[in-house]
This record gives sequence, structure tokens and C-alpha cells, in this order.
Amino acid sequence: MSSFLRVATAVARKDLRTELRSREMLPALGQFVVLALLIAFFGFDVETGGLEIAPGVLWLTVTFAGLVAFGRAFAAERDQASLEPLLLTPASRSAIFAGKALAAALLLVACEAVLVPALGVFFNTPVFSLELTAALVLATIGMAGLGCLFAALAAQTRARDLLLPVLALPLWIPFVVVGGRAVQVALGGGRDLNGALALLLDFDILFVVVASLAAKFVLDD
Amino acid sequence: MAATHAGTLAPSRPDLLRIAAVADAALLLVAAGLAVFYAPADSVQGIVQKIFYLHVPAAIAAYAAFAVVLVGGFVFLWNESPTADRLARVAAEVGLLLTTVTLVMGALWARPIWGTYWVWWDPRLVSTLVLWLIYAGYLLVRRIATPGRQAGRFAAVVGIVGFIDVPIVHFSVSWWRTIHPPVETAAPEALPPELLLTFAVSLDAVLLLAAVLVGYRYRVEVLRDRLQEVLDR
Repeated sequence: MSSFLRVATAVARKDLRTELRSREMLPALGQFVVLALLIAFFGFDVETGGLEIAPGVLWLTVTFAGLVAFGRAFAAERDQASLEPLLLTPASRSAIFAGKALAAALLLVACEAVLVPALGVFFNTPVFSLELTAALVLATIGMAGLGCLFAALAAQTRARDLLLPVLALPLWIPFVVVGGRAVQVALGGGRDLNGALALLLDFDILFVVVASLAAKFVLDD
Repeated sequence: MAATHAGTLAPSRPDLLRIAAVADAALLLVAAGLAVFYAPADSVQGIVQKIFYLHVPAAIAAYAAFAVVLVGGFVFLWNESPTADRLARVAAEVGLLLTTVTLVMGALWARPIWGTYWVWWDPRLVSTLVLWLIYAGYLLVRRIATPGRQAGRFAAVVGIVGFIDVPIVHFSVSWWRTIHPPVETAAPEALPPELLLTFAVSLDAVLLLAAVLVGYRYRVEVLRDRLQEVLDR
């Protein structure tokens, strides 16, 4: 188990260091987020500042930013032909996968750290809310597990950009349904926040375990 | 030459699949006849209720087909059996077809009864839609991945993880609904025996139809794999 954690953190640190040096993903994701808000506002034509559409806009932006972040996690390895050497090491496939998913999840959380204040500025939602942060982070963990599983799969096929959204989005629906409710509560509508957060945690555990087990078969060549 | 081909395509022993297909055609006619002439019209819903005899069996048969995809996926990951992979592949197609029938029939029923084709707060509707999307993705993986071991493995992973996801979607939406105004549900009443008989015959007919379709598609896949082997040689 300790070797699993060591490998996972090493892979995650490698990915984060690459991002820190190249500075490609985070600026792109940050710009994407602001553009998504701009399109949403003019697409919906809301009168009262946009609070009622804010949760939907938030989820659309998070899911599509997630597709970009998770897709890049494995596409970059493939472009550099560095996935095979990584898999040739005796490290466990599940640990390598967990590390990549962890780094991608952190990137998406960083993107959400831009999204939530931007939503606050443009759509009059709270600029910081503990409930909102908890819901987003919990949903991001499970979405990263599933998203990176299918990103790893898609990266090994042709037409990979086509495959990831089609596979990941339907499987993310539970996170959107329950996370959507949690965000609505955090933004002042509905109730049962604790139930929603507890469910998100359950989904996280289930799908992170399932994805790590399945990763063995996806990262095998 | 022609004899060899005939020998491969149509074995000399009685073709069970063809017998099953003919029997199922008859059974489907009987089911349709029972639904139209024998089963009583619903006192509230009237003739629209008869959609039920196709809608529910199609849903059940679709779940059976996706269970085959699940089991086939596990077996393929375990021992890379080409038979399991082929079965999973064709069952996914048949399951997707049956899910389409279920969704369309459900929407047609809902329009006069609920006044709308679709409601988002019903867990069955949403989970069936997600089911359709997941297995449409499954077939896309089949098409895009390199045929053979890679396609088999990737599809198996999608089939297994997708199967796990569907009850979770169902659960999420029912949880979501508990804090949402409840949907009106019809009071359960004792079902007349004519209705149950018609339903049982319809269910058998549709399940047999699914099996026959899987059987014929399986044969095609065997031939296609054989052709690929010859071409690769």
C-alpha cells in the first residue's frame, strides 16, 4: 500500500511539475471558464442578474472543463510517446492511474477556483462559499476517476477526442444530479445539503475504486 | 464451391435458430392478437395502455441483453474468449435497439397520459436514457478501437462500468425527487388475469425475439471474424 501511494504521488508530482513548467493547461482552462460564462449569459438572456441559471452554468462549465483537463492528462503522454516507458516500469498500473487522476483532479480544482469567483462576479452568486466548495471538490474527485479512466482508453484509440465526452458524460450524471442539488442548496435554494455531500462521498469511493481496478485492463498493452 | 459455402452457412442438422425465428414470429402475432382482442381495455387509460405490452417486455429484454454484455465483458477480461467478446458485442446492439423501442414507446404512452413526452424527475426515464447513451458509447468504442484484443478489453471496461452506473443514476434521481414535489402515481389495483396472460405471452415473444436477433448477429460476427482472419493471412 505504501508503494502504491509513493508511485501515485510521484506520478502526480511529475504531471503537476510539467504543467507548472509549461503553463499550458491552467491559462487555457481559466480563459475557457470566463468564455463559458460570457456565452451562457448572452445565450440565456436573463433579466435579474442570472442567479437562477447560475447552478446550471456552473455544471456545464465544470463538466466541459473536466473533459479538457482529463483528456489532456493522457493525450499529452501519448503525444510524447511517454506512456509506454511509464507502463514498462514495475509500478502498479492502478497506482500510475491514480497518480494521473489525482493531478488532473487538482488541475480541475484549480480551474474551479477561477470559475466560482468569476460566477460570483458575473452572476451574483457568493464569491466564496464553503458548501459550494465542498460540493465541487467532492464531485471533482469521482469525476476525475471516471474521466481519467476513459481518457486513458480514448488516448489509445484513433478519434480520441470524439470518444471521451461520449463515454464520460453519461457516467458523470450521478455527480451532476446530486452535486447539482448541493450547489442549488449552497446558492440558496432547496435543502438537504448534508445528504447530498454524503452521497457524493459515497459515489467518490465507489467510482474511484471501480476506476482504479478497471485501469489495469485499460493500461495494458 | 457453392456446396462448401452452403455447408458453412447452413449446417445440415436442423437449424434451431431458424425454427426459433419462425416460432417467435408466430408468438409475436399471438401476442399482438391477445393485446388487441383479448386483453381488456384500461378503464382510465383506454387503448393507450396497450403500449404496455411492448414497452415493458422491451425494457426487460434490454436489461437481459445488457446483462449478457456485462457477463461477456467479465469473461473476456478473464480469459480473452472470442466467443464471450462476440456475444457481448451483438447483445449490446440488440440491447440498444430494445432500449430505443422502450424509450419511444414510453414517450408515446406518456404524451396522452401524462400530457408530456418526457419528465425529468422520474428515475426510470432518466436512467433508461443514460443506459441508452452508455451503450451507444459502447458501440462507438467498438467502432473506434483497434479490432481484436484492444476493442474487446476497452468495450468490456465500458460495459462493466456502465452497468454499475445505471442503478446509481436511478438512485440519484429518486433521491433528488424525494426533496422535489412528488409525481402522481396511479393507485395499484388488482390486475385482471387476461392482462397478465397477454403480458406473459408478449414478454416471452420479445425475449425470444432478442435471443433470435442475438443468434443471427452472432453468426454474422463469426463469419466476419473468419473473413478477417483470411484477409490477415
